[in-house]
Amino acid sequence: AVLSLEEASRMTDPSAVTSAVKAAHKFFSEDKDRTFEAKMTDESTRLLAFQQQLEKEADGKVTFFGLSVSETIRTCLLNGMAKKADRVKADFKVPDKRFWYLKLHALTSMRDFEALDTF
Amino acid sequence: SLGRERDQSLNLDSLKEIGKKALIDALNSVNGAKTLVLDPTLAGPLGLVTEVSLLKHHGVDKMFWLEPGPLSSTTTNIVYLCRPLIKYVKILADQIKRHARESLKHRYTLFLVPRTSTLVSRILEEEGVLGDVTISSYNLQFIPIAEDVVSLEQDNAFKEIWVDGDETVIYNSALALDTLQKLYGPYPRIIGKGDYASRLATLLSRPLPEQPIPGEFNKPVVTAPFDSLIILDRQVDMITPLLTQLTYEGLIDELIGISNSQVELPVSLLTPPSAPNPANPASLPSTSAAAVTPVNNEKMKKHHLTAATDPLFAEFRDLNFSSVGKNLNRVAHRLDEDYKSRHQAKTPAQLRDFVGKLGGLQSEHQALRLHTGISEILVPITRTDIFNKSLEIQQNLLASYEVSKQTSAIEDLIAQGAEMQIVVRLLCLASITAGGIKAKSLESIKRDLLQAYGYNYLPLLLSLSASPLSILLPNPLPVSTAPSVAASKYPFTTLRKSLRLLIDDNPDALDEVENDISFVYSGYAPISVRLIQCIAQKNGVISNPAEKVLTDEADGKGSSKKLYAHPILGWKGFEDVLAAMPGKTFDIMQKGPGGDSSPPSISSLLRSSEQTSTTVVFFLGGCTYTEIAALRWVNRQHKGRKFLIATTGIVSGGSLIESIAGFGKKGPGSKDTSI
Repeated sequence: AVLSLEEASRMTDPSAVTSAVKAAHKFFSEDKDRTFEAKMTDESTRLLAFQQQLEKEADGKVTFFGLSVSETIRTCLLNGMAKKADRVKADFKVPDKRFWYLKLHALTSMRDFEALDTF
Repeated sequence: SLGRERDQSLNLDSLKEIGKKALIDALNSVNGAKTLVLDPTLAGPLGLVTEVSLLKHHGVDKMFWLEPGPLSSTTTNIVYLCRPLIKYVKILADQIKRHARESLKHRYTLFLVPRTSTLVSRILEEEGVLGDVTISSYNLQFIPIAEDVVSLEQDNAFKEIWVDGDETVIYNSALALDTLQKLYGPYPRIIGKGDYASRLATLLSRPLPEQPIPGEFNKPVVTAPFDSLIILDRQVDMITPLLTQLTYEGLIDELIGISNSQVELPVSLLTPPSAPNPANPASLPSTSAAAVTPVNNEKMKKHHLTAATDPLFAEFRDLNFSSVGKNLNRVAHRLDEDYKSRHQAKTPAQLRDFVGKLGGLQSEHQALRLHTGISEILVPITRTDIFNKSLEIQQNLLASYEVSKQTSAIEDLIAQGAEMQIVVRLLCLASITAGGIKAKSLESIKRDLLQAYGYNYLPLLLSLSASPLSILLPNPLPVSTAPSVAASKYPFTTLRKSLRLLIDDNPDALDEVENDISFVYSGYAPISVRLIQCIAQKNGVISNPAEKVLTDEADGKGSSKKLYAHPILGWKGFEDVLAAMPGKTFDIMQKGPGGDSSPPSISSLLRSSEQTSTTVVFFLGGCTYTEIAALRWVNRQHKGRKFLIATTGIVSGGSLIESIAGFGKKGPGSKDTSI
């Protein structure tokens, strides 16, 4: 499983990465002591799929593929896709604390004082 | 004084000379002009033994990094110099095959560092190019990186042993330690702790293959023969590297990064001001934090941090960073006075005298600028919320104070966007000090971490929990856990007491903080160095020997009253402490040249009270700058014994975590090399 993950980290082609992570997920699911790892690899493939969808919606102008959950939220916020950011938060059960930090930092770096006021 | 102490320590220049000579011999063994293809991770270590001009003088026409892709060479000879890693051999094989397809004729020589390996020949054979390559070795072993420190500069040693299960570096360490014996005399006794340390000791106590040492170098005159070799492996004390180093050099490594003694700094810090003007004392750098803030896009340049040519660095490197500012100020004032002294120069002779000193003043002036600049990079970082929260969590964990609250404090750091390595270090520290993290909070924090930094860190988390490393564990352990993991539980709270690790911060103890090895972590003593004290300075474990020296100094008797170090008596007195720690404990009497294996003779015990002897301390898996600083402190408490610190490399918690994650230092970017 770890080998598949290492392979995934070296590859660049999205579909190859996804299938390598899926392979890792399969290995982990077969081991009852690896439920956490299985869950995480599953989340990972879900995120990769969602990121491809986001890229499509941004007309390929923004890169999402391969970012972490937090980075995905930040990138959404920085590109005016606040609704999508909320969706990531909900789908991946991101704790409020981390989400609000991300939002605060994103708004500050965009100097969006209006939104900061209503924060 | 410093000069006298230096005289009594071993002259390490021979090691550098041997490294250099062996490289020359290797290059000269290939006749004519050659193209050198260099393993990027060797550039730093080689830079410590040689300079580019030396390579040019020995026929190196052009240099390239060893990296995937085609290689074009104008010379017939192509010389590869690399560590014996599979990925490198594959690149080499690929380049040879490309040349063959283009029917280019080249002669290939491969120098493996530090020695050849059958694995390499096998891969070359599989690739069908074995017949095209002459395989040899460049035996690069210990490189002196300070007047009392030698290093193999093998940055990945820890990961190779404890994660990959590759023990090559243990064997290479044995060979390098054996070379030291051949140069400076035998180790009468090998004492140590740790399973891998024990394996190394066993290798050393058996005959090892003869290693050629280049003939023409000055055999060192040994004034302080070895009294013993102490070997600790990194697993014996994983806590120390997980903490934030608080000495000057340690903090530079933590916050800027030191690689092969080199640190990357803004160019403006490294170039002397165009016109140093002694007439204007205001040109001295201010020690306030306002002056030099590195601009983000300023050009960076590598600087070799060394006490050999930088007396201020020698003075500051081991100080707790909190006192560096004060010392910078003192030096600035002294320099100012020295510049002003020219006003007192009345006669031509006095003036000449001042001019003679000017060069020294100016280089000191430049050193002052440099260290002021470095401090000004460090200070703002030490004032950030994340830095201070991380320190606070470390202190709480070391004191077992509100342990469960620390996990949520670590979660806060993740939310605030702290660096991944900071978070992972704290987690491992929590696990080791408390005997594991509650399964439920461990799982949620691991999930948090993967979401924040990327799911690609899952293999890192798995490595940290896997045996033999086992530094990130749930508590209680799941029933399915291997017994070896359960057995490796670290008795931290017991050690905290028996090894006097934590110096209370009550006012009476404050002085002691300054006068105990715990100064390197502002009140915490590294376990590794306490263990060395168990062997070489027994009273220093139980109480603070510096107090006696201090009262003597107050009496005006000064350091001449320093006591002689006691002879090496093994672990005596601390057997129980050692037995409670995981890993083998050993104490081996070495056979003398005459096959004599009797315990240390009376004469050797007597000698140790009259003559200075050297205790070699070898860290298998790396040591931190704070451990070096702490050992130097121990060194200063006695006369009659010097430490020679030997290590596979210099590590920090950050570098360990990054090497396990596989995102270690990236190779240099450009294709053309400069060492």
